[in-house]
Amino acid sequence: MTTPAWASGVCAGIHAAGSRDVVYVPDNPLSHVLRELDARFRDIRLLLATREEEAFGIAAGLYLGGRLPTVMLQSSGLGNSLNALTSLLLPYEIPVLAVVSMRGDAGEWNAAQVPMGRAVRAIFDAIGVPHATVESADSAGETVRIAGTTAFGTRRMGACLLPRRVTTGSQTGSDPVAPS
Amino acid sequence: MTRLEATRVIVGLAGDAPIVASLGHPAYDLFAAGDRPGNFYTWGSMGLASSIGLGLALARPEIRVFVLDGDGSLLMNLGSLATIGLLRPANLVLVVMDNEEYATTGGQKTPTAHGADLDAAARAMGVPRTATVRTEAELVTVARPFQGREHGTEGPAPQGPAVIIAKVRESAPTGKPPLDGVFIKQRFMSALGNPESATSGTVL
Repeated sequence: MTTPAWASGVCAGIHAAGSRDVVYVPDNPLSHVLRELDARFRDIRLLLATREEEAFGIAAGLYLGGRLPTVMLQSSGLGNSLNALTSLLLPYEIPVLAVVSMRGDAGEWNAAQVPMGRAVRAIFDAIGVPHATVESADSAGETVRIAGTTAFGTRRMGACLLPRRVTTGSQTGSDPVAPS
Repeated sequence: MTRLEATRVIVGLAGDAPIVASLGHPAYDLFAAGDRPGNFYTWGSMGLASSIGLGLALARPEIRVFVLDGDGSLLMNLGSLATIGLLRPANLVLVVMDNEEYATTGGQKTPTAHGADLDAAARAMGVPRTATVRTEAELVTVARPFQGREHGTEGPAPQGPAVIIAKVRESAPTGKPPLDGVFIKQRFMSALGNPESATSGTVL
């Protein structure tokens, strides 16, 4: 199975930002990233969490122990995460790189994903989390790397959004088929 | 045993090992039992003390990590027990101060007052060492094998992770920790030997 270019870029960006711990809640597009990390970035530790809020809590503990953690989640999980972000990561200035696979944006097929998908950037703006959007497969690595180095350098969490037009390769695609 | 008495037992055994405390009364009692740089007081993020401790234990496998949680808080993040049971960091000791009520918010009963068994939940999620204690003597017996290294324990340390449910009586807090999260974090990370460059500077 060939890894999509955007997913290879995300992996390279995480690694180049110095992050060696990725706490995640699975998502269909992110499965490409997880597989590539497992296969080619053996110095990166993958840690499964049961819920996005928990993932940010684990990431906070990793940072307190001297690591530079990444959390990977689907945008729907941002709603689950807000208490961790607003009452732990932000007031304590604990930096985490959040890599967010978007649902509810162009190409979405499931109406239940749309309200949170529409709200992601507004929520990040409202709570003061800088966010960048990966605009193309080619720029994924640099966008993720810069988001990570900025977060860790300034001790403020940052988010990097992966739109469906990049992760599914189509503006109007149907639900991505699970890789076999 | 009151929560403060139980907290004093853990602080006494921890030595200089880090202690992460859940918000509200567990954090207040940790401060009252002895403020020290290795205390990480949370002021929000209810439910995440065990997750913070888990991440810290994974980051620093060579040091013992204690967490002082509450029953209401752990019930808010029960998935944490599954993740601890999955990853099984040997150096994590999660102590749940189970007073069977939301004491910080006025004493409303939690499900543990009606039979919910957090010890059984931890076992069911694959946590290898669990216990329920009701007296200081029992808590000392269960927790002593996990005490900090400077106490010079003989032989290999027991393999965790461990979840200890301490059935405690509520006691009015007698202290309040520092309020500044950044201060708490920076002091804590320096105590652990991995200070932020923001506070330590960098050799070029």
